[in-house]
Amino acid sequence: MSDFQLYLTNTAGLSSVASFWVFVASNGTKRFNSIALKVANGVMLLGFVALTVAIITRGIEAQRFPLANLYESLLWFAWATMGGFLYLCRSYGIQQLGWLASLLAATMFLYGSWLPQSQHDISPLVPALVSYWRQIHVPPLIVSYAMFFLAGLSGLLNLWQSGRLRSLAFCVGTIIAASSAIGLGTFSKVDTQWLQLLFVASSVLGPFLAFRSLSVQDAAIEQSKAAKKNAEMYDDVGYRCVAIGFPLLTIGIITGGLWANHAWGSYWSWDPKESMALVTWLSYAAYIHLRIQRDLSAEKLSIVSVIGLLLTLLTYLGFNSLGFGGLHSYGKFK
Amino acid sequence: MAALVSQDDKSKDLEPEVNASAAVLPTKKGRVASKDQLSPFASVKLSVFLMCLMALTILIGAGVPQESQGGQEKVFEVFGRQTAEWLVRLGISDIYHSPWFLALTATLTLNMIVVSFQRVFPKLKLLKNSLPYFRGQDILKLPVHHCLTLTKADEQTALISDLSVRLTKMGYKVKAEGSKLKGEYGVVGRLAPSVTHVGLLTLLLGITITSWTGFTGFQPVLLDEKLNFSDSQHSKLWIGSLPKWQVRVDGTRRENYPGGQAKQWFSNLSVVDDKGKVLHQGEISVNNPLTYESVDIYQSSWGLAKVAVSFNGHVRQLDLRPMGEKYACFLPLDQDTVLIMSLASEGKTLRVFAKRREWQAPKLISEIQSGKSIKLGDVDVVFEKAIPVTGLQYKKDPGLPITYLAFGIIMIGVLLAAVPHRHVWVALEESRLYIGGTSRKAKVGFERSIENLVEKLKGSFTLQEQLDQGDQANV
Repeated sequence: MSDFQLYLTNTAGLSSVASFWVFVASNGTKRFNSIALKVANGVMLLGFVALTVAIITRGIEAQRFPLANLYESLLWFAWATMGGFLYLCRSYGIQQLGWLASLLAATMFLYGSWLPQSQHDISPLVPALVSYWRQIHVPPLIVSYAMFFLAGLSGLLNLWQSGRLRSLAFCVGTIIAASSAIGLGTFSKVDTQWLQLLFVASSVLGPFLAFRSLSVQDAAIEQSKAAKKNAEMYDDVGYRCVAIGFPLLTIGIITGGLWANHAWGSYWSWDPKESMALVTWLSYAAYIHLRIQRDLSAEKLSIVSVIGLLLTLLTYLGFNSLGFGGLHSYGKFK
Repeated sequence: MAALVSQDDKSKDLEPEVNASAAVLPTKKGRVASKDQLSPFASVKLSVFLMCLMALTILIGAGVPQESQGGQEKVFEVFGRQTAEWLVRLGISDIYHSPWFLALTATLTLNMIVVSFQRVFPKLKLLKNSLPYFRGQDILKLPVHHCLTLTKADEQTALISDLSVRLTKMGYKVKAEGSKLKGEYGVVGRLAPSVTHVGLLTLLLGITITSWTGFTGFQPVLLDEKLNFSDSQHSKLWIGSLPKWQVRVDGTRRENYPGGQAKQWFSNLSVVDDKGKVLHQGEISVNNPLTYESVDIYQSSWGLAKVAVSFNGHVRQLDLRPMGEKYACFLPLDQDTVLIMSLASEGKTLRVFAKRREWQAPKLISEIQSGKSIKLGDVDVVFEKAIPVTGLQYKKDPGLPITYLAFGIIMIGVLLAAVPHRHVWVALEESRLYIGGTSRKAKVGFERSIENLVEKLKGSFTLQEQLDQGDQANV
């Protein structure tokens, strides 16, 4: 990896951290709130541009499409998260999603930076990856994952703005527990069976308790018309993210099937990772059906989008870090 | 699926006239059927329930090693004897072939077919239905609405004309009737459910054709040996036939990166008939198959299978085992000593080691180039050659064109689903201008676009916003 590319990647990483703190600080001042938000967005934009150039230069340096291992996919994920937020910010004028989006991007940079040096280095491709299908199949999936994460984060903000603070706490706790399992699975020697249990138990228990707690509503927030309007907006933002992510996931799964058929003569082999992608697809198909049928309230749909986030996390990082096997083990390094 | 789809089923936001057209479904004979007349299998709630069950089943299948992939031994290795026996007995270790999964797939398929024909496709007829022009009071009941007062009466004609132009520029298909306008945006988005369901049904057709007529299989083939199709797999309900020709492996090699990692595997193949006549030839590699008479042959794996070594003139073929990037065979000489022969993937140099129980690591005795010999005690050892094996995957898929067509249709369908479908109504009654509309998706963006439109109108005409819209709506 060249110094220039390292410099650009570090700039993007630091920008995401800086924009997170500026977004957080903007809540502490009413007077400079709008200026702080503009600065935070500007820093995020700077990081996005730096990361775009970093990914392009990595591709030039590697003389191949720069999406072949876990580290490179994390760069793409952070890029899609930052780009997705900037698009949403421009469309909706939302700001509070900014600190969550920048926190997510910063977490991915941190996760990527802790990976072994072999992941950072530009290494040759294994035979299965030497195909033009790689650049058709993988980017839509990574971008869809980022959009689903943003949808889940919008769901958290919807719960906050609608005064469902207890449900919010359960959802946040679940995400932290699940992320911890992934982190420990990647960087520690803890028995993966315990980590699988932690991930699954928290993912089942947290949303269940969140659903059960929806009747508990903060009275002050309930009275606020501005909060109600914001809650509606975050509900709409979440749906918009899913509306973008779902076609991309569909395209990613289908092109994966086409690639597999081209390379191995089978569209589908029930490999754990492709099965998980199908589970994620089914869960978002169910989300869309539920939404259109309007059988569930915006708050319940927000919890469904958090469940979708957990499934996306399991599909993207969980199956490699929590010790499941399969054909899609290019991201593994242990 | 079912509901990408039934976007207009419950257009609760819309005014009664709109709901009236959406809550009923036209039948084949043109009559209108209420939802009560639909089959229980046409339930979207059932679709969601089945999708959740399917997701849960696949989730279990993804988490538990499957016999079809790693064999039953893998299940016992991961879970231990007691738990593994239960998993095997319950069918969880082979969940994709379990009666539960097959029944679930069949029910979901039936649900999808019934929903397609009873709910989704009939909605296409609604596309022809033109929504009515709305009165001011109707517009005030819409989720997004504005009521403005026009101070100068002589601006009325210009205002309607200007609004028509602005809405057209915003992408709406505008129709006018006197001082009323109605505009529709993103009508293609309404096609998304039908297109997606057509794609899913086409996929079903493609898979069925493949299942009834196609076959698949895998065979590791040694150099100069032939692949035949006798061990191919196909469904029980099968009306296809297997090829009579075979595929001979004329050559196979591995190409490495400078660091020694595998870059690509190649095999030179000849299609030969039962008399040995060559019908077709070609080279395959990973991601580059060979196709003959609609049968595709894929390079799936590669390795060194055997090493031919002569001991005092007696040639023996010893089985090799993959050991990381190398291949090795083990020859026990006595109770304490093992002779180890190791080869790199190039197969040009045979390294001979000895390992005794008391030694911590094997000791290198000698290196033999291909075709050369060494003396080990009284034994003359000649490294004859390394024999590679190429893993060939094959399949015939007559449903492939239909399946690919289905993939294309599904992708178009889900992309169309992202297009928001919007309606805007305008009514100018006396000096009051009513603007309102609905959008099923991107509601905030729609609300802002209408607010922008109103702001621009205020800049061009003598318009004043009525602040008591809510009260008026309740009148």
